[in-house]
Amino acid sequence: MATIPEVMSDTPTSDRNRIGGPTEPDQFLPDSDSAEQPEANAPARGYSEEQKYQIFNKEFMPHIDSMYNFAFRLTMDEDDANDLVQDTYLKAFRFISSFEQGTNAKAWLFRILKNSFINDYRKKSKEPAKVDYQDVETTYNSEDAESEHTVDLRAESVSDLIGDEVATALNSLPVDFRTVIILCDIEGFTYEEMAKILDIPIGTVRSRLHRARNLLKEKLRDYASSMGYKEENDE
Amino acid sequence: MQTPLPSSSGTKPEMKEHCSHRADCLKLIQLILDGEATEQQLARAKANLESCKPCIQMYQLEKEVKELLTKRIEKRCCPEQLVATIKTRILSFS
Ligand SMILES: [Zn+2]
Repeated sequence: MATIPEVMSDTPTSDRNRIGGPTEPDQFLPDSDSAEQPEANAPARGYSEEQKYQIFNKEFMPHIDSMYNFAFRLTMDEDDANDLVQDTYLKAFRFISSFEQGTNAKAWLFRILKNSFINDYRKKSKEPAKVDYQDVETTYNSEDAESEHTVDLRAESVSDLIGDEVATALNSLPVDFRTVIILCDIEGFTYEEMAKILDIPIGTVRSRLHRARNLLKEKLRDYASSMGYKEENDE
Repeated sequence: MQTPLPSSSGTKPEMKEHCSHRADCLKLIQLILDGEATEQQLARAKANLESCKPCIQMYQLEKEVKELLTKRIEKRCCPEQLVATIKTRILSFS
């Protein structure tokens, strides 16, 4: 059963858009495994039908473009993104009593979407199946392996890349790495929010992001150098 | 963070050509660009970014890559049809 991990205390945090206040228990969020059994500390809120629709329309629907973009970047397929967003919003409505009005709806929704993606879509996606959290973590997690690793690349060589090229580079990353980059750089979540969305400690957010960016820079470097090569040939 | 980047002409003599802890500097730079650095970390990085050439280059690269992601990747909007479908299906819930 997925519980929300404790936030590591040595980490700089920001108070903007907190998922839950410091004194209140973390909210229960639906997972496939635990969905039917709310945790003991999950306060079920007795919203009236009218309040439910109001929360849904005012707090959930405004994030639908971000949600769709996230779904599309995860699945890399429009139909799958459609299904994923629809499933997520239906789930969100079904479990609306575990959402506390006025708290961070965007992070709450993103977490549901990410769980749905893992449970329902990842299995059937064309993503190479070997790449899962465990593998990735053990392969890349040794501090030694990464400590001296910086990608040799200049800012000027990537500054001319166009959006499609950057997107292709991003899409070529294993999904776990792609995810942290999307959440951080495209959606602007804080590390603390990402930790809750992904159910991992903040330290893992930080190191996964670091590795993701190294991989991305390697891809961008390949792109930039193949472009430079083409230009030379054309002239 | 706005780091005063040295002009190429005004290279100070104390400018470091080599960084002995690139990996740590890189992590620090990412914290700063992500808005997650503490005051202490900011101060430490600021000193580096005024005197260490590799650090300045890393900072520029990280900033550029982050901007590519933020500004150049197309944001997909949710199709109107899907918004309508969701709203209809929600209404049939109760
Ligand atoms: Zn340095």
